Amino acid sequence: MFLLPWFAGFFGLTLGPAVASLYLSFTDFDLIRDPRWIGAANYVRIATNDPKFAAAMGVTFFYVALAVPLKLCFALAIALVLNRGIAGLPIYRAIFYLPSLLGASVAIAVLWRQLFAGDGLVNKFLAIFGVEGSSWISNPSYSLYTLVALSVWQFGSPMIIFLAGLRQLPKEIYEAASIDGASTQQQFWKITLPMLTPVIFFNGVVQTIDAFKAFTPAFIISGGTGGPIDSTLFYTLYLYQEAFALFRMGYASALAWILVLIIAAFTAFAFLSQRYWVHYGE
Amino acid sequence: MTSSHLTRRRLMQSGAVVAAAAGGWSPAFAEDVRLRVFWWGSKERAERTDKVNALYQQKNPGVTVAGESLGWTDYWPRLATQSAGRNAADLIQMDYRYIFEYARRGGLMALDPFVGKQLALNEFSQAAVDSGKVDGKIYGISLGLNSTAMIYDKTAIEAAGLKVPTWNMSWQEIGDFAVELTKATKKKDYFGIHDGGRYEPALEVFLRQRGRELYNEEGKLGFGEADIGDWFALWDGLRKRGGCATAEVQALEMGEIDTSLLTLGKSAMVLAHSNQLVGFQALSKGKLALSMYPSGGAGAKPGQYLKPSQLMSVYSRTKSPEAAAKLLDFFVNDLEAGRTLGVERGVPASNAVRKAIEPTLDELSKSMADYVAFVSDKVSALPPPPPQGAGEIQLVLRKVNEQIGFNRLSVADGAKQFMAEAKGVLARG
Repeated sequence: MFLLPWFAGFFGLTLGPAVASLYLSFTDFDLIRDPRWIGAANYVRIATNDPKFAAAMGVTFFYVALAVPLKLCFALAIALVLNRGIAGLPIYRAIFYLPSLLGASVAIAVLWRQLFAGDGLVNKFLAIFGVEGSSWISNPSYSLYTLVALSVWQFGSPMIIFLAGLRQLPKEIYEAASIDGASTQQQFWKITLPMLTPVIFFNGVVQTIDAFKAFTPAFIISGGTGGPIDSTLFYTLYLYQEAFALFRMGYASALAWILVLIIAAFTAFAFLSQRYWVHYGE
Repeated sequence: MTSSHLTRRRLMQSGAVVAAAAGGWSPAFAEDVRLRVFWWGSKERAERTDKVNALYQQKNPGVTVAGESLGWTDYWPRLATQSAGRNAADLIQMDYRYIFEYARRGGLMALDPFVGKQLALNEFSQAAVDSGKVDGKIYGISLGLNSTAMIYDKTAIEAAGLKVPTWNMSWQEIGDFAVELTKATKKKDYFGIHDGGRYEPALEVFLRQRGRELYNEEGKLGFGEADIGDWFALWDGLRKRGGCATAEVQALEMGEIDTSLLTLGKSAMVLAHSNQLVGFQALSKGKLALSMYPSGGAGAKPGQYLKPSQLMSVYSRTKSPEAAAKLLDFFVNDLEAGRTLGVERGVPASNAVRKAIEPTLDELSKSMADYVAFVSDKVSALPPPPPQGAGEIQLVLRKVNEQIGFNRLSVADGAKQFMAEAKGVLARG
């Protein structure tokens, strides 16, 4: 009975809309008139005749491939430093976690826009060294990298999980290794990393799913256009444009289901690959 | 942002309704009506509109009017979602671009049955009435007259030692002027004019001056590759000569007043619409003024037209159509409402309201009203309605102009690509 609110939420707010969107993906629906069944036409068009779909996929995959590993490396590095037992750990932990709380918010995206604009803080800093910076967010060659940087900056939640993982590692092993003369570096590669693989796996899966769903920063930074020249046209942003700016809710639903399938495929692949690299302590 | 404050009167009413329901004689209160009004716009507009809603409630006991407002970018997704949920407001502020999309899909109610009853249009010119028609029926009532206008920073231009532009300068002359202005101001990343190449209303004026149209009656493109090529070349030339903003600076502009290059202090002139003068001035230090878009030169046709700055429409599924029409009538015909709204939404379309508010206007509002009066004999008829997919072509225009600006495409290839993509969009509909 105590699960009732959860069930109500799951069926009413998650499963219901999901089933509805699956239905809509097989229709031509403009939000105002009733949906019209058109079979697989939306999916056929996505597969055969939609250059923007390919462009959006390209941007999103590039983002995921770059942002997720960078963020994880960064999070692990900070976690290792914090794990050394410095004084005031809770304070540092809170400070490093803060960007993650703010990260997905509109305010931070707006701040990012200011930082990386032509006359923004980043260029003022570069000017000290005599470097004349570009307007990073409005140049198609760099705009996506500013969003990657924004994502990496929000390393807080994987960091906390890494930190918890590091704390679990038994001290005896390290003591034994030290006695055997293993250097700190050797200890990291031979002990810490293998023992941490379950945590890396978990963080990797969660962050990959998150990165595929990234929306707010790109929406704010490009004003919803995905510009300049579609360089920040994230998959979710394209989907949003189709649904709400161009009244193609049926098509957008089909796009959404493709994204679900892609994320599912990635997650399944990650789980299947576990036996080759993830070590669970027996 | 809603304006439904709980008043003592309303509290007593709801108390009465409860009592009535308990006593079983509720039909006596059947006339109680609750209306919702939804619009986009600034805080200034919200304050003025809320006042009119309150005024209407005062004069019409038993009617409650609740207002909701959002910025332009958030407005359309919200309206689309509400329409999909069959829960849109009774009165919906409409744009000339979207009224066709909504009316043809059955999202709006045809107002012809109310005209002459709840809704009086005898103070409206035929042109003003026609501007709210879709396929011969009235789906929107013009809230104000408007035209495209070049907004310029008078203070900045005079500080640079130059004379302000005049209304009959050609594209070539305005271009030269912009180049001179960039040089004279000597500020980094400051330009005579923004890059208007991506701005569809500017392209439309340019095309009409050549006797072409953006879209023809059949809903196809009303121009050819050579026209769009000339257009891209015009702006590409200006970019290279330093007259208009570089692609990198231009990409900061998101299409709303607060990110416009004029507002950001990066350009002295922008191509915009006349009613936006109030909004622009509120965010600018320099003194702003209006001029017409550049002309097509000797022998060219008029490119500009008068259009409704906004329209007010009635939701097709409203529960109280008559009451909604009556409130709409109050918005456009009542003199006190007119004085409250001013010219913030454009110059009122009703002749009576226009005359009544004239003496009350401040200098800025007056200059806008004067501008609309000034251009009204230099414009031609409203263009044919934009076809389905026109919204997407705006995105294509913006993207191709950026590709040329960032040297990813030549002007000739850009023109080819634009035609191909635009035709593809229209074929899909």
